[in-house]
Amino acid sequence: MSPRRATAGGRIDRQRTIRFTFDGHQFTGHAGDTLASALLANGVTLFGRSFKYHRPRGVMTAGVNEPNALVTIVNGGVREPNIPATTVEIFDGLTAESQNRFPTLSYDIGALNQLGGRLLSAGFYYKTFMGPVIGPLKGTRLWMACEYFIRRAAGLGSAGLEKDPARYERMNAFCDVLVVGSGPAGLMAAQAAAESGARVILAELEAVPGGSANWSDEAIDGMPAAKWASSAVGKLKALENVRLLPRTTVWGYYDDNTLAAVERVTDHKSAPAKGEPRHRHWTIRAQTVVLATGALERPLVFPGNDRPGVMLADAARRYVNQFGVLPGEKIAIFTNNDSAYRAAHALKKAGAAIVAIIDLRREVSDAARQIAASVVGEHLTGHAVVATEGGKQVSGIKVQPFDIATASVSGDPRSLHADCLLVSGGWSPTIHLASQAGLKPVWIEQLQAFLPPQPTQKWLAAGAITGSFSTQEAISQGHAAGAKAADSKSAEPGDLPIADADSLDPCPAPIFEIKAPGKAFVDHQHDVTADDVRLAHREGFVSVEHLKRYTTLGMATDQGKTSNVPGLAIMAETLGKPIPEVGTTRFRPPFAPVSVGALAAERYGDIRPERLTPMHDWHVENGATLYAAGLWHRPMIYGLAGETVEQAYVRETKAVRGGVGLVDVSTLGKIAVQGPDAAAFLDRVYTNMFSTLAVGKARYGLMLREDGFVLDDGTTWRLGEHDFLMTTTTANAGKVMQHLEYLLDVVWPELRVHLTSVTDQWAGAAISGPKSREVLAACVTGTAVDNDALPFMGIVHGEIDGAPVMICRLSFSGELAYEVYCGAGHGTHVWATLMKGGENFGIVPYGLEALGTMRIEKGHVTGAEIDGRTTARDLHLDWMLSKKKPFIGSAMMDREGLLAEDRLQLVGIISLDNRPLNGGAHIVEHLDEANPHGSIGHLTAACYSPVLGRYIGLALVSGGKARHGSRAFVSDPLRRRFGPIEIVSHHFYDPEGSRMHG
Amino acid sequence: MVEQESPLKPVWQPGSHGNFAAGIGVYLSESAPGSIVQLAAWAGKEKAVLQAIKAVAGLKLPDGAGGGAPGEARAAFGFAPGKFLVIDEQEGLAERFTQALDIETGTVTDLSHGRTAIRIAGPKAEWVLSKFFAIDFSATAFPIGAGRSTVHHEIFVHIQRSAPTQFELYVFRSFARSFWQALCRASEEVGYEVQ
Amino acid sequence: MLITCPYCGPRNVSEYTYQGDGNRTRPDPASTDQAAWNEYVYDRLNPAGDHHEIWQHSGGCRAHLRVTRNTLTHVVTEVSFARDAGHRKSERHRKPGAHA
Repeated sequence: MSPRRATAGGRIDRQRTIRFTFDGHQFTGHAGDTLASALLANGVTLFGRSFKYHRPRGVMTAGVNEPNALVTIVNGGVREPNIPATTVEIFDGLTAESQNRFPTLSYDIGALNQLGGRLLSAGFYYKTFMGPVIGPLKGTRLWMACEYFIRRAAGLGSAGLEKDPARYERMNAFCDVLVVGSGPAGLMAAQAAAESGARVILAELEAVPGGSANWSDEAIDGMPAAKWASSAVGKLKALENVRLLPRTTVWGYYDDNTLAAVERVTDHKSAPAKGEPRHRHWTIRAQTVVLATGALERPLVFPGNDRPGVMLADAARRYVNQFGVLPGEKIAIFTNNDSAYRAAHALKKAGAAIVAIIDLRREVSDAARQIAASVVGEHLTGHAVVATEGGKQVSGIKVQPFDIATASVSGDPRSLHADCLLVSGGWSPTIHLASQAGLKPVWIEQLQAFLPPQPTQKWLAAGAITGSFSTQEAISQGHAAGAKAADSKSAEPGDLPIADADSLDPCPAPIFEIKAPGKAFVDHQHDVTADDVRLAHREGFVSVEHLKRYTTLGMATDQGKTSNVPGLAIMAETLGKPIPEVGTTRFRPPFAPVSVGALAAERYGDIRPERLTPMHDWHVENGATLYAAGLWHRPMIYGLAGETVEQAYVRETKAVRGGVGLVDVSTLGKIAVQGPDAAAFLDRVYTNMFSTLAVGKARYGLMLREDGFVLDDGTTWRLGEHDFLMTTTTANAGKVMQHLEYLLDVVWPELRVHLTSVTDQWAGAAISGPKSREVLAACVTGTAVDNDALPFMGIVHGEIDGAPVMICRLSFSGELAYEVYCGAGHGTHVWATLMKGGENFGIVPYGLEALGTMRIEKGHVTGAEIDGRTTARDLHLDWMLSKKKPFIGSAMMDREGLLAEDRLQLVGIISLDNRPLNGGAHIVEHLDEANPHGSIGHLTAACYSPVLGRYIGLALVSGGKARHGSRAFVSDPLRRRFGPIEIVSHHFYDPEGSRMHG
Repeated sequence: MVEQESPLKPVWQPGSHGNFAAGIGVYLSESAPGSIVQLAAWAGKEKAVLQAIKAVAGLKLPDGAGGGAPGEARAAFGFAPGKFLVIDEQEGLAERFTQALDIETGTVTDLSHGRTAIRIAGPKAEWVLSKFFAIDFSATAFPIGAGRSTVHHEIFVHIQRSAPTQFELYVFRSFARSFWQALCRASEEVGYEVQ
Repeated sequence: MLITCPYCGPRNVSEYTYQGDGNRTRPDPASTDQAAWNEYVYDRLNPAGDHHEIWQHSGGCRAHLRVTRNTLTHVVTEVSFARDAGHRKSERHRKPGAHA
């Protein structure tokens, strides 16, 4: 048995020994231990070094409020820093390291910082490193010189660089009643709500439900409280309408009674089961919430209050009662209230010696006096601890008479031997969630604490969070809250469990700090002292929000769970105002740190959804290099061995222009526009007419936004009198759909038109090139495809090897071309049949690069030119603006600024130095490579043009049309490109369109 | 007639997967119906469309948002105001509805190729689906036959509860493979069988 | 934040797309009144309090909804199909240049 493990007692499984590693040393503990309790049991008292001064620190609490004992959990290459040892359940193979020490925890160079303590007071960074740069080492320059060393010396643990292989998941849950906290109040609330049939979720951040029942000395219903709790939990588990979530921290209270929680599913296991997430993030939508979050004990502020061995009194009680661990052998207790006497009682029973109870109050209750008389060496009322002695462990304390009325010490100090000092400064109800969903917290003088505010959402509070600290009150409040939350009519509290507990007075003396020489810490994690708070005040920080930011009090990973109220009290005293007038800072989510993995869950990396066309697998099998276009994956090129991208697309382009090629156009947005008013609707949303379009014909259409700029373009096919198939660009499919849905729902609800996304219904393949008609003729049955049967913009229906197809003759490449549509499930079948049928004609599959090259040669616009800033005129599409009818955008497209001569207009660009061009490069008029200036526009797209044998591009250039034939320069400093270009018409190739009409 | 190719083919792995030692949590399958048809009524013509569904598919849908009728051979449910999805294991349903519904009543849109039908069944079906969708899958909130429209990031889905522990999911075909893989991954925890 | 869709019931705001200020009325399509068009396209109310907004249930039934939402508290007090309200939209018309 290890030195600090009591010979009996506790709720650990002494039959099961667990091996773990801390700072490279092997230790053992028992099932049910936390890392903190197991290390304490092994006699370890030094857990880490402090943030700023590198002071030795021990463990101060036994739970989620721990500011000191932060460790890094190491799992293979993954390091998770800043985890309170008090919240880590041990398992075989657990590896933990202490933090912020170099080279080791015991011999830490950074501890020299303590000598320069005055230098590192509040605002040290602001004062030393900001301000004007004068001289070589002043202000920000000094910071730059010192940053590396300061960053190394200050701070917490460091995260690893390895990718975290763990799985994280999210879960959505709905319930009638969410109970947060599973102490006696929470258990009773869950039970009462469940009995009335409500769907209940009970969330508990600890591994074992029961809350304080797990470590109180009380009895409930005649049995030990812990036993009562576990039997209550057992009954809840058996109910179908109750979901019990242990190891689950409810960390945020959001709008509409939506709460965020994180469940640590496998952190306590050596290895997760298959498929098991490490953390599961819960989004819980509850009709009503019962907050049974209890209360947190707070420390007193006095010199040396951070030395290892100084611990909260109730934490010590928990170590001995729940874990069978004695935090010391000779224990002193320092308190301003009665609750600490419980620890004296428990520790004495477990075999420790209680050297003294030092109570700030001269008058204490009879119940407290009785405990003191029976278990304590000395009972020093009206006294204070003014110093602790020892190095890395308390070896003694100094006490002095204290007067509450003047809050000052008097007389001479005297020393007491003790290896552990338990402290209690009263209790703060855990109002974090209540405050997130409520108005301002309410200060109660008698309890010296903030109570939950008026709710702004649907929640009830029960138990210690309400400031009622007795177990009997927790039981009755919990039951009442649970019944009310579940809307139960039978809220008969007839046979509630009876708690057998002491009658200690929960009200503390209004003392938070003992003023005496030496560093007295308020925020242990951020090393903020009481003097820092006063210094901030002297420097003019009088608002509590400013104080917090200047001193960083309460801003560490523990979010000030032990320091907020003492800090506020010291601030109030300094300001000479009562605490409620100083106010408290707002509680914001999260209540406790949440792993980023849990927040991201599935939203990262390689499991982002991919959108695949029906022919995707064919493309991959046939050597396509894929290109991500939004979520779509599209073939960029079908490269042959040894080909560069340019060689591949040039080869593909030549094959199309000289013969025939096939490209997957399934990603184009497709919208079924159906209804008696479909044609009228299209007339309103397109700039040109569609009501005049014959059934079986297609037309190119242009859409503007209301402000007169171009929204999108595409062809729309009239399949029937009331049935149109609209196509959009791939990128704008969703935007166009929403635009049209808005118009029908909000602007013209009288129109009878239905819109349906049919993008995924159709596979589309464009077959292009002078031989495309011959390939079609060879493959298509059931219809002729000659010029009479299928003229330009005509549509026919037929079959390709048994699959129904719809063929429209239209061209993006400028060649004779057709778009062949078939059911998506037939896509590969039709595609493969066309490829086979085209073999004799030298058919090639081509990708986006070749497609893009041919459209640049033709001067067709895409999203690069339709960039939200261009008008139809800018793109030379004014011939599409009907004068016969109003349409979306028609009222605003003729505004003065949109007609200006110097607007950026679409032009063609030819590289004169025979070097490639890049999209995004600027066009400048002056030959000044070193200082390019006077941009007249920019390139939107560029390629090598096989038909011209030149590098060409499209550009938007100021007054572009008037510049045709003039010279300028391309400037692209980021890619080190500068060179001469010629501005030409955007119609590089076959401007008359004779090839596609032929 | 040419068979429809499944978008799930390359990732289709029949058998038991994940943590199934203690039993299969969910059964995943692709139901591959012959027809998936959307019917959309003009305002005030919803009853006429419901009658057409009864006449053509033999399914009587209850009134109200999301009301539906489950079935092995045929099923239907509402997923938006005046809009219904009708599923038939046979092909050709769209043509039959086009005959039965005139343009003054509503429109018929064939989605037989455009949506992929995935079935998830088993004791953990609600659990697995709750990882994806922020809707209440409990039987009281989501009764048998009812339909829902919801979304998981970019993946839009219509869901019908077809049995106490069975749901039919209709996702856009282009997303089906990604969604199937995500569904399999999310099911590993409870053990799953691909049928 | 939840919005209760009249068809789908309460859903997370992530299922919806904000589609703009619901106080606007589109001028007659043939109107050449530039001030009216300017107001429709560009002028927006920005009240601290109840606001009439258009939201689309884009991740659900895809209907557009008229939503009255308090911009300070996110509390949604009224939701209806935009389609049904379409014929009453003149009620929310405001004078050109009016600000909240």
